[in-house]
Amino acid sequence: MPNIPLVAVVDDDEAIREALCDLLMVAGLDCNAFDSAAAFLAGHAPGRTDCLITDIRMPGMNGLDLLEKMRADGSNLPVIVVTSVLDPGARARARALGAQAWLAKPVAEGALLAELKAAIGPGKWPDGPGQ
Amino acid sequence: MSPASSETPAAKLSSDPEIADFASESVIIFDTEGMIQYWNPASEALYGWPPLAMIGRGIAHLSARSADEHEHWRLLLQEGTWQGLVSRRTPSDTHIAVDVRQYVRFRADGSPRDVIEYGRRSFGEGALTGTDWHIPDRLMAASWEIDIAAARPLVASIETRRRGGESVADAAYLELVQGARIVNVNERTARLVGGNRGRDLMIGQAVAGFWPLDSRAILGELIVDAATATTQDMTHRRQLASDGILRDPLVTVWRADDPDRLYIAVNGTADDDRSFLSLRASEARYRKLVHYMPVALWQVDASHMGKIYADIRGKGVTDFSAYLDAHPELVDLAAATVPVTDVNRSAVEMFGGKSAIDLLRPVGYLFAESTQALRNVMIGRFKGQQNHSELTRVRTFDGRVLDVRMSVTYPNAPAELDVTIFSFEDVTERLRIEAELRQLQADFTHAARVSMLGELTTSIAHEVNQPLAAILTNAETSLRWLSRDEPNIGKVTQLTGRIATSARRASDIVQRIRGMASKNQPERAPLDLNEVVQEAVMFLRHEIESHSIRIRSSFAEGMPLAIGDRIQLQQVIVNLLMNSVQAVEQRGEGEREISLDMRAADYGALVFTLRDTGPGIPPEDIDRIFQGFFTTKESGMGIGLAICQSIIAEHGGSIAASNHPDGGAQFRFIIPASA
Repeated sequence: MPNIPLVAVVDDDEAIREALCDLLMVAGLDCNAFDSAAAFLAGHAPGRTDCLITDIRMPGMNGLDLLEKMRADGSNLPVIVVTSVLDPGARARARALGAQAWLAKPVAEGALLAELKAAIGPGKWPDGPGQ
Repeated sequence: MSPASSETPAAKLSSDPEIADFASESVIIFDTEGMIQYWNPASEALYGWPPLAMIGRGIAHLSARSADEHEHWRLLLQEGTWQGLVSRRTPSDTHIAVDVRQYVRFRADGSPRDVIEYGRRSFGEGALTGTDWHIPDRLMAASWEIDIAAARPLVASIETRRRGGESVADAAYLELVQGARIVNVNERTARLVGGNRGRDLMIGQAVAGFWPLDSRAILGELIVDAATATTQDMTHRRQLASDGILRDPLVTVWRADDPDRLYIAVNGTADDDRSFLSLRASEARYRKLVHYMPVALWQVDASHMGKIYADIRGKGVTDFSAYLDAHPELVDLAAATVPVTDVNRSAVEMFGGKSAIDLLRPVGYLFAESTQALRNVMIGRFKGQQNHSELTRVRTFDGRVLDVRMSVTYPNAPAELDVTIFSFEDVTERLRIEAELRQLQADFTHAARVSMLGELTTSIAHEVNQPLAAILTNAETSLRWLSRDEPNIGKVTQLTGRIATSARRASDIVQRIRGMASKNQPERAPLDLNEVVQEAVMFLRHEIESHSIRIRSSFAEGMPLAIGDRIQLQQVIVNLLMNSVQAVEQRGEGEREISLDMRAADYGALVFTLRDTGPGIPPEDIDRIFQGFFTTKESGMGIGLAICQSIIAEHGGSIAASNHPDGGAQFRFIIPASA
């Protein structure tokens, strides 16, 4: 089903990963979860992924470094940051690196799905049962 | 005596109005060598020798048996005083019996100055012949007059057994000595064995209370010998082993007219190298010292209990505690029958008595608040301990209840008399101050912990936010599944389960924070140090991750439990971790790692080691970092490590800081493992 958008989720907290993936599924999206930035870089399918949801603070490479690396590698994948970090400096840097949105945890589904829809584009957005 | 009056007594007497010249009693002054210095007219009248013939001559000149005088003189100087009947030679070479009293006079420094003798013709027994007179015997005897009326049946029964050729156990003789009462003793006996009680208090008491235990049975045998002897005045003698009081004492027992009255004479030299006088001076000083000592002292005579214990031991009882459980009446017996025989001033003050008499009764009143303490004292004695000490409480005569440290010194059997010394130190005030200090320290530790939590707010908020975020997302997802035409119950069930898990996680975190913030009294409970460390790391996870620091933990498997307060130990670890995070951050470049190592040491201790890759501790600061208010940080009071140290010390452990040879600071604490 190539028409179903694929969203990658990077978060070191398993409960968060599972919750986000379940939300994406019920919204009619596909989800690929990674527990670290390194795992994402190694395992995601470039070109196939439509959007990345990432946490900022994680052991090893953090979300900002991941974003930087991706941009440096020439990727312009839409990125939505979902984090508890409130630091305005980090937020500005994410913006500068072309992050689509910076959402604070706990994130409201409406806000997240709206940002995802904007990122993926309404044309590709599924008209799922919940929508 | 002022130091200036160092002239000889004779000179002094001849320069002063010569009071003794008009005395009707013979007054003679000897120097310490026994040379006559002064000879009053009454002496001339008594002995017939004029002063001119006597001054400058030795005492031996007067003596019937000059060889004995040497020994007598030595003893007189040693003991300070003597009184008795002597036989003295007259110019006509007859001997007269004279009652004399001799006193050694001393200089301010305690050394003997001279001897003054008062003499009076003895008319009671007429003249003694020189040969009948045994000075050493009479001089050295410690004499006793005893009454055996109460022990008569026992004497008779022992005698019957002896005649029948049966052996008589020592116990029977000991009982006999216990039954024999003291009618009178001479000064020497009172001095040698009377202790602080003195002669008056000895009269009417059991002979056993004063006679050395070692030879009590032998005395019992001699008493039976004398009491059953066919003729009065027949002497029964035994040489005893040195008993720590007299050297090689010779005991002589004989019966007088009254068949229940026996006399005992003990001859021997005092087994003490010090002269009696210095001994007496030191005893007086000692008594004064004891009397005015700020510690309340009781002297107790528990000799009869000692005998009961010996009997119980003889029955093969070894667990006296269990024995007392089965025979609580024995504790009551001790309380009611063990007498207090002496107390000092502090004791009277402590109990609010009017005088020492109020306290000289059975020991029960000392244990009105805690019979358990008496029980412990008895167990200590039974076990043959040298002493026993515990914290207990006493109720004073005016109803105050005091916290006291009770110390008991048991008699050193068998050489010493059966005297047990109790001391009570009022520690009420000290305990109150200690409790206040403990409270203050707990408050301080708590304040530091709350302030530490303040610094960790961001980290803690993050920690709580994670499960809340998961809960919210899961709940919203569930609602979506439920709002479908065909609700996916399976999915909703799974999500609800996850919500519950996350909620529990959030609740656990809140619980831990509440624990950290709580002001509970520290408690001691067995706990797993690995767990404590893991929980402590939780408080700092956010800090650690946001500074991209790696935590490497090596938890020991099967480690024994620690005994301690979970919250306080966590406080220590969080504190050390915070310092390390800041140190690693300060360094900026290079490896960013904090390693934690928990292991059991083979000496029954648990060792926690934390090492970081920060810049290390400046060598000049290493000795000071555990001091209060020492800090190198711009913010912070510098109490963190001081509190860590006090917490670890409270746990019976120690904490040390060092620099690792490969760089970075290293903190290590050691706490005792449970059993």
